[in-house]
Amino acid sequence: MLHYATRRLLGLTLVWAVALIVTFFAVRAVPGDPIMVMLSDHAGDAALEARLRADYGLDQPLAVQFLTYIGDVLNGTFGLSYRYVGSTVIDVIRDGMTITPLLALSALFIAVPLGLFFGVFAAVRAGSWADTGVILMLVAFISIPSFALAALLVWLLSLKLALLPVAGWGDPVHLILPVVVLVVSPMAVIARLTRTYMLEVLDRDFVRTARAKGVREMRVIWRHALGNTMVPIVTSIGLIFGSLLSGAFVVETVFNIPGLGRIAIDSVLARDYPVTMSIVLLFTVFYSLINLCVDLIYAWLDPRIRFDEATA
Amino acid sequence: MTKNNLKKTLGATALATTILAGSAFAADLRVNISADPSMIDPITYSELIAGHVISNMYESFTAIDGDGKVVPALAESWEPLEGNLGFRFKLREGVKFHSGREFTAKDVKFSFEELLRPGNKAGLNAPYLDVVVGADAMKEGSADTLSGVTIIDDHTVEVAFTKPDVLFPIYPIYLFDSGIVEEAGADWYNSVSAGTGPFKFENWSRGQKVELAAHSDYWGGAPAIDGVDFVVVPSAETAMAMFETGDLDVMMVDGPSMRRVLSNDELKERAITAARAQVRYLAMNSDLYEPFKDKRVREAICRSLDQDAMIAGLYSGAAKPLYGQITEGVAGYNPDLPKIEYDPEKAKELLAEAGYPNGEGLPPVKLSTTEPNKNQHLYFASQLQEILNMPVEVELVERGTHLKSINSGQTPFFAWGWSAGYPDGLYFLSQLWYSDSPYNRGWKNAGFDALIDKASMTADNEERYEIYHEAESMLMEDWGTCPLPVSTLMATVREGVSGVEIQPFGLVPFADVTIAD
Repeated sequence: MLHYATRRLLGLTLVWAVALIVTFFAVRAVPGDPIMVMLSDHAGDAALEARLRADYGLDQPLAVQFLTYIGDVLNGTFGLSYRYVGSTVIDVIRDGMTITPLLALSALFIAVPLGLFFGVFAAVRAGSWADTGVILMLVAFISIPSFALAALLVWLLSLKLALLPVAGWGDPVHLILPVVVLVVSPMAVIARLTRTYMLEVLDRDFVRTARAKGVREMRVIWRHALGNTMVPIVTSIGLIFGSLLSGAFVVETVFNIPGLGRIAIDSVLARDYPVTMSIVLLFTVFYSLINLCVDLIYAWLDPRIRFDEATA
Repeated sequence: MTKNNLKKTLGATALATTILAGSAFAADLRVNISADPSMIDPITYSELIAGHVISNMYESFTAIDGDGKVVPALAESWEPLEGNLGFRFKLREGVKFHSGREFTAKDVKFSFEELLRPGNKAGLNAPYLDVVVGADAMKEGSADTLSGVTIIDDHTVEVAFTKPDVLFPIYPIYLFDSGIVEEAGADWYNSVSAGTGPFKFENWSRGQKVELAAHSDYWGGAPAIDGVDFVVVPSAETAMAMFETGDLDVMMVDGPSMRRVLSNDELKERAITAARAQVRYLAMNSDLYEPFKDKRVREAICRSLDQDAMIAGLYSGAAKPLYGQITEGVAGYNPDLPKIEYDPEKAKELLAEAGYPNGEGLPPVKLSTTEPNKNQHLYFASQLQEILNMPVEVELVERGTHLKSINSGQTPFFAWGWSAGYPDGLYFLSQLWYSDSPYNRGWKNAGFDALIDKASMTADNEERYEIYHEAESMLMEDWGTCPLPVSTLMATVREGVSGVEIQPFGLVPFADVTIAD
């Protein structure tokens, strides 16, 4: 297991190195000059332009800029922000760095059990009106775009009923609407997957055997059947986490949450290259780490995977 | 103290804290800003959003009041030196910095020097000092003090110039505390404020809000509110919802939200507006597009654009037509400039007279702009195609690239705006249409240049404004540009909040604001 984890971690560092290189060059390939944006109406001041270019190292050859950037990433500052005078990138993103994973993880921890529950609930009642009702609800949840749902909830709960704040951050009550919006779609995806896999497994011989042996129905469903559908579901959770991270962009903008998603959008608009690159890098790291966790859980759930790795 | 007593005491303290915190929160004015400011200090200050925050903490020799008039602030009076080569300023007495220290002449000298010091990344304020004797030496690093500033006594300072600059007293050069470096270190400007303004810096939670607290020793009287929270709200829809639920006391309204405010009676009643200190213009560079050399072609283009239709369609009515290049609310504005009539028939005739009947013989030209201004340019292009049969194509360019191109004179045809840096019309005329300006927009005229030179040496306001009128008429009679409508500045104020005022540069510092209940 340890050997497997180490190997995976080594593979990840390679992924991160590639992400570092690709973001660095991709951001620079985009048209637009950050110094011109900084100068804006004063773009005619050649002396100021030259000084700013030198201050930010943009007068250096690309190779030198790249090496400087790697140095900045390794020392943890991620370089100087172009937009915030005198601030390092880490100063700009420090607060957001905890917010976005917090949002995504809390949504995940709510979406998974709910999704499993609805999936099993529908599967064991396959063909009944309850099953149809749940399926309809899930289709609706998957179809509604998160920005539309957010607008609807704000209109209903904040503007009309005045139950929750419109937007903001800093109070636990501010978490409710964003997390609800984030939960809905992944929950529905997990529920649909669970229902499908459950239907397949419930037909299998070992389930019939368990029932024949007189195992209680609850135990048959939650232990024997669900236990055997967990592997494909856990795999899909890795992918769902990716959509949660990108969903955070929408949710943070609508609910005015100072997370990485919103900082990323601001930085793209302001041509704040170092901030954009660092956020892309951080998202790569989060996403790949979650997938590593998923793979480890997967290996733990299904010992054959570890075995294959060891003999390969 | 027994355990129980301790509990009680703690409980009481917690309760007291809650009550105090509760009341303090209620008396903070909450205002939206669309993004974090890029900085909160007067040295590197270089953008609009930072300006909203900084203008509540720092002051200059003069200020702009709610009527858009220049009024004395940190300088009580001033008189020109011999030959207009500088000014002697009499400074206001009894002014206290946020630190409690008194504001004196040495702070003026210190502020100027800090702005010019190389390595300080000085922003918008620094170029105003170029005219001061010794500024070049300081910028190059060959001098450590600014020789052009002489401290006469604690409250009198003389600033000498290398050439006349009669507008110097109205430049928004923020003055700050010379004791601050010793007190808070060389990087003081990220953690404290060192101004004389009605509010001082308290806290900045990035992405959430910038909090200012009242400066109780403010020379204009302690503010009645406890502080100001500039709440960062990037989405205009969210800001609107927050205003409607009472989470904002003042909402600065931007473009798309204006329509909603103006179409909602309740919000409209709560709105305050001002003419924006900004000109808009259509630039026609005759070096890059041959037909622009003919004045009749330029006039034909101007007469094909309907400012009233633009105001109704593009600005939902929240804009004013412009017939010159100085806007209402800025000193030197001429209200008597002739209206530019929308006249498609005359436009066609003029184009035919210039040798391009029904647009024949006109080479294709690109009308360049950035994404946010796309709709406006599509309107221009469709008017010019329909009325003049002119082969115009709208080209969208990334902002940084566009700025570089227009400022190096490489874009033949574009509409753009120019916001004033100080409240005087000379700013627009000298920056956009003066031949030697790095921002000249393609029209050049020696007679116009001579008038601008004369104006910058004329200290008498009325006399100088006359010169502006003359220069502006020269520009307009030659159809050097087509002036375009300027959008209105707008904010809405929650019921129970009074004393919030708006002027052409933005909201007046909140020194006199009160919040009821």
